[in-house]
Amino acid sequence: MELDKDNANPTILNPSDLPSRRQESLVKKRDDGGSGLFDNLVPAYNYLNDPFDGPSSSSDSDYDVVENIDEQEIYDLISSISDPEHPLSLGSLAVVNLPDIHIQPPTSPFSSVSTVLVEVTPTITHCSLATVIGLGVRVRLEQALPPRFRVDVRIKKGTHSTDEAVNKQLGDKERVAAALENGTLMGVIRKMLSTCK
Amino acid sequence: MSPSLTTPSPAPTHTLHALATLNPPSNSRTWQSAPHPTQPLVATACADRTVRVYSLTSFTLLHTVSGGHKRSIRSVSWKPGTRGQNVLATGSFDASAGIWRRHESSRQGTIGADEIEQGGGSEGEDEKEEEDEEDYQFSCILDGHESEIKSLSWSPTGQYLATCSRDKSVWIWEEIEDDNFETVAVLSEHEGDVKCVAWHPEEDLLASASYDDTVRLYREDGDDWCQVAYIGGERGHGMTVWWVEFEGPVATIQEKDFRASKEGLSDAQKEWIQEAQKSGPRLATCSDDCTVRIWRRTPKETAETESRNTGVPSIIRSFSVDEDWVADAILPRQHERAVYSVSWSRRTGMIVSAGSDGKVVVYKERWKSQAPNGTEADVDGQKEVESERQKTEWVVVAELFSTHDVFEINHVCWVRRADKGRKSEDEEVIVSTGDDGEVKVWTLEESS
Repeated sequence: MELDKDNANPTILNPSDLPSRRQESLVKKRDDGGSGLFDNLVPAYNYLNDPFDGPSSSSDSDYDVVENIDEQEIYDLISSISDPEHPLSLGSLAVVNLPDIHIQPPTSPFSSVSTVLVEVTPTITHCSLATVIGLGVRVRLEQALPPRFRVDVRIKKGTHSTDEAVNKQLGDKERVAAALENGTLMGVIRKMLSTCK
Repeated sequence: MSPSLTTPSPAPTHTLHALATLNPPSNSRTWQSAPHPTQPLVATACADRTVRVYSLTSFTLLHTVSGGHKRSIRSVSWKPGTRGQNVLATGSFDASAGIWRRHESSRQGTIGADEIEQGGGSEGEDEKEEEDEEDYQFSCILDGHESEIKSLSWSPTGQYLATCSRDKSVWIWEEIEDDNFETVAVLSEHEGDVKCVAWHPEEDLLASASYDDTVRLYREDGDDWCQVAYIGGERGHGMTVWWVEFEGPVATIQEKDFRASKEGLSDAQKEWIQEAQKSGPRLATCSDDCTVRIWRRTPKETAETESRNTGVPSIIRSFSVDEDWVADAILPRQHERAVYSVSWSRRTGMIVSAGSDGKVVVYKERWKSQAPNGTEADVDGQKEVESERQKTEWVVVAELFSTHDVFEINHVCWVRRADKGRKSEDEEVIVSTGDDGEVKVWTLEESS
């Protein structure tokens, strides 16, 4: 996979080719995996053997360098996620905003766990896709960030009619894990994440 | 609320040491590990749709139970009291529960709990048994839940199996004969996912914890199971309750924990011990609110006495089966994120908790120190009625960070130690199960 990428990058001359190439390579990777839908979905979530799955491999080097990940980097990871309804990115729709990303370093010298809090702003207050958007952000960050990060995704207070209920769902590890095993839902999430750089 | 949060936290008196990582680890998330009731085995529920059965004498993988479930296995439970076979129940995100059996060779089938406990000198034989090639066979499937099963648990006698699900229900199944399960109750009291079910060690009393922030208790009334207690609202956790577990039988535990020494106890402390006997085993819960809490049952003495005196036939009950469970304590707040699991030692009365922050914390209960002049603090009658009962307090005895590197811990429990390094018959180890696919074994030793 790594080889494919090294070969592929220099040949991309036209930036507009990038998304389609990436999509193609994602699909190909899945076929090659050959061990069924869930095998692919489950390990993608917080796994030791391959935590820097796919396009995010650039963050490999950050694993050892704690200071390297800042709010801007988190923003770059999630702003290119596509909105499930519109052909636009969450960044351009201002669903995710840089000032709404907060990184909390380890609270104790004995701990190496940092927390990322992302508050998302749904485009309309009753947007039924708020949960899906939040899930997409959480999945993206859990795949891209080193496992020492705990990812908390919330609906920005007062921007959504059922924000408490959505927040509770997004914060529930077990529900998120089960959602990742739901083929239909993961199809939507995969499509949203296919535009990530 | 009466339970005090301002428990003094002296320096931990014990240290947790890594004893072993069960080998090989899973390459997917591991959710929960169930120790076998009598044998030195632990079964681990894995996201890769398998259960891994490890030996606690050699710390190696003995069996992989696979091929039944279509999604993650979330929960696993050994049926207690089986003869000649080991029986596992598995609960999966595919909404079904599976029953798996492994028939023991006739020689192994005769080994009772006592022999295992004394089996320190016969490791050689154990090893041979462990190499037995016969694997766990799929036996039957329990269908009924509409969505992911989150937890399941056999009752202490093995008569009932309780399952719970995101569909907000708790089911009680009774095994009429091998592989013939009857649904004896479908309890739909919760308003959200039911995260965990646990049985009382001595009574047919079931507790469930939920995403609706509440804990509910059920028992059989006549022919129907019904809710008999509710812990929630103002006095509850106020956030998702992830785990619920009962204390061990009081008669046993009070001989082993801080109550064992009766020397110099005040009348109030003696009274506390008596009250605890009447209440029976307490309940421990943990939650997204980062706390671990203890609940106790208000003894029902009065109601029962009244009903006995009326002579009314039991079918027309003059007293309710309802129970009153009240807050007993909030453990020192050591966790910074959701606490996913709490376990109550049946041998020492200590509690261990673990969760998203990757920490393992061990607590013990002790008598609250008395007023300086030696008189009971509540003698003057100035204290609140509730706090008057607070004769004990919980203190942290050990705390360890990053037990699974940077990963979350999904489950933690006490297990009787069975490897060669065991110091005594009764020594326990802590088994933690993490997102890194590892199941780790820890010893608890007094700091020198």
